[in-house]
Amino acid sequence: MPRPSGAAWRRIGGRVAQYALVLLVAVSLNFAIPRLAPGTPIDYLVPSEQVATITPEQRERVLAQFGLEKPLLEQYRLYLTGILRGDLGVSAQQGRPVVDMLLERLPWTLVLVGGAITLATVVGGGAGFLSAARRGGRTEAWGLALFMFLDSMPPFWIGMLLLVFFSGYLDLLPVFGALPTSGAAGGFGLTLEFAQRLVLPLVTLTMVRAGWLFLVARSSLAGELSEDYILMAEAKGLSRRQVVLGHGVRNALLPLVTAVAVEVGTVVGGATVVETVFSYPGLGRLIYESVLSRDYLVLQGAFLLLAVGVILANLLADLLYPILDPRVRAESLR
Amino acid sequence: MSGTRMGRVGATILLLFVVAAVFAPILAPHDPALRTTQPFAAPSFAHPLGANDVGQDILSELIFASRLSLTVGFVTACLATILGAAVGIVGGYLRGPVDTVLMRGVDVILSLPFLPLMIVLAAFLGQNTTNLILVIGLLIWARPARLIRSQVLSVRESGHVQAARAMGATHGYVMVRHVLPRVTPLVAAQFVRTANVSIMLEASLAFLGLSDPFQKSWGAILFYANARSAFLTDAWLWWVLPPGLCIAAVVVSFAFLGYALEERVDPRLRSTLPTSEPSSGSGTPMPVREDALR
Repeated sequence: MPRPSGAAWRRIGGRVAQYALVLLVAVSLNFAIPRLAPGTPIDYLVPSEQVATITPEQRERVLAQFGLEKPLLEQYRLYLTGILRGDLGVSAQQGRPVVDMLLERLPWTLVLVGGAITLATVVGGGAGFLSAARRGGRTEAWGLALFMFLDSMPPFWIGMLLLVFFSGYLDLLPVFGALPTSGAAGGFGLTLEFAQRLVLPLVTLTMVRAGWLFLVARSSLAGELSEDYILMAEAKGLSRRQVVLGHGVRNALLPLVTAVAVEVGTVVGGATVVETVFSYPGLGRLIYESVLSRDYLVLQGAFLLLAVGVILANLLADLLYPILDPRVRAESLR
Repeated sequence: MSGTRMGRVGATILLLFVVAAVFAPILAPHDPALRTTQPFAAPSFAHPLGANDVGQDILSELIFASRLSLTVGFVTACLATILGAAVGIVGGYLRGPVDTVLMRGVDVILSLPFLPLMIVLAAFLGQNTTNLILVIGLLIWARPARLIRSQVLSVRESGHVQAARAMGATHGYVMVRHVLPRVTPLVAAQFVRTANVSIMLEASLAFLGLSDPFQKSWGAILFYANARSAFLTDAWLWWVLPPGLCIAAVVVSFAFLGYALEERVDPRLRSTLPTSEPSSGSGTPMPVREDALR
């Protein structure tokens, strides 16, 4: 990649400003939702079973502790500075800082989501390119219908069915969590245990997302292959392989990268329900637990953290475009 | 399968579910809200799909649940399409600062992780179907808006629109009488897609325990099946498999319909855009090249 020009930096700066705006909106939503929701803030700050029995003095104390008696703007300022200091509040159920709870779960989700995105891109994107390269056949049309059906299945349902077959009937893989509950083998053994438990959630999430990437890759390459330059390349006597890989796929990659970046938010959503099925100790499982126990601050913290993750992924894609596509470089030079 | 055939298959499946939803009280063998047999009962003649953990007939639950899914799909799609079409047409037609502001808003909404945000909203607002519809509808209009806008951009340059403007027609008149009819097919296709996405989102929220406890929903049936680990026993066959099949069937029928609609609307879509962009579980924008080049 050539050294980024001033214009390229400006383009990236524009995107960063856009994402900063998204972040501000996410934070503001987090601030506004509890204050607009029915009921009083107390309902959301103390463990649900204590809401009915709380005394007026305790109520005052909780309000003071969270600065809820201050004017709204002051509350917002405190909220923003709190987040900048990495303070997302304290879990009503567990009494621990929300940030600690989130960071403890984050690595598990990163492994799952990262793995699923990579696999889905390779499998779905690859199959999509292949399907576009051999367009018009009967198998191709049925393949499309198949991937559409795959894309229509609820992720948690696929997960449950995989559990039924691989753990229930075949007894091949352990079902629960990410690590064995007892007898820590340490080192390699532990890694193997983790890998075994990762297989099913990973396969589930990959299956769910591969369908969409298949469709994107397929239509993107199909579009490129109908362009004149492909005809030109063929006329020059290049082999079909050279034409498709060297010319078609190269140009069809950009929409795929966009789709993968956009996909991150969806995969994160899918991970939430898939982790729930497999009791996989990631952020999604934490969200599910917090929904059940009505631990509002944890839910909000998880949303914020996931928003940051999605934004970072999108920013990464933005930085990738100029490397992948000279047209983007040219655009920023203009 | 060709687009038309897909459309026919989709319409047939959808029609079956509409019939089930409309005639649920006649078709369902039992009242799904009542305890009509032993908890965890295996399938029998009286209860073809057995019973759940409180002894409610699962087949009747499934039939009544089609009402919720179809309602959520239809109403949220109306909400999101109207909002999306309004924003898309106004932004694309007027251009300038209005467009910039609207599209910034669209970009912001599209960059948020939908499901986690919906979970937060649903948890705070309380579990009832109206809230669910509002929460989903208010978030998924952004993608239709962007797609409709990009088509309006080309429509506004076409001859009859320019002519109407030259003859002194007001912006409002041109947008309603000339731009809207031209984008109606795209709006229809987006309606189908949005319905598809919202049904999946509703199922996911219900599966996480965020549905109206007094209303049967396929996602909620799976929530209870999961909470009781039904997939570790034979019960998966009648308790886990059928609700998921129902969700998948409805979602795929909308996807097929959307594909057929789009192919009919604009044959070019077949080769230049993701021809069928079915439920992605959230409202991800269609990856069009212009996005990346912007």
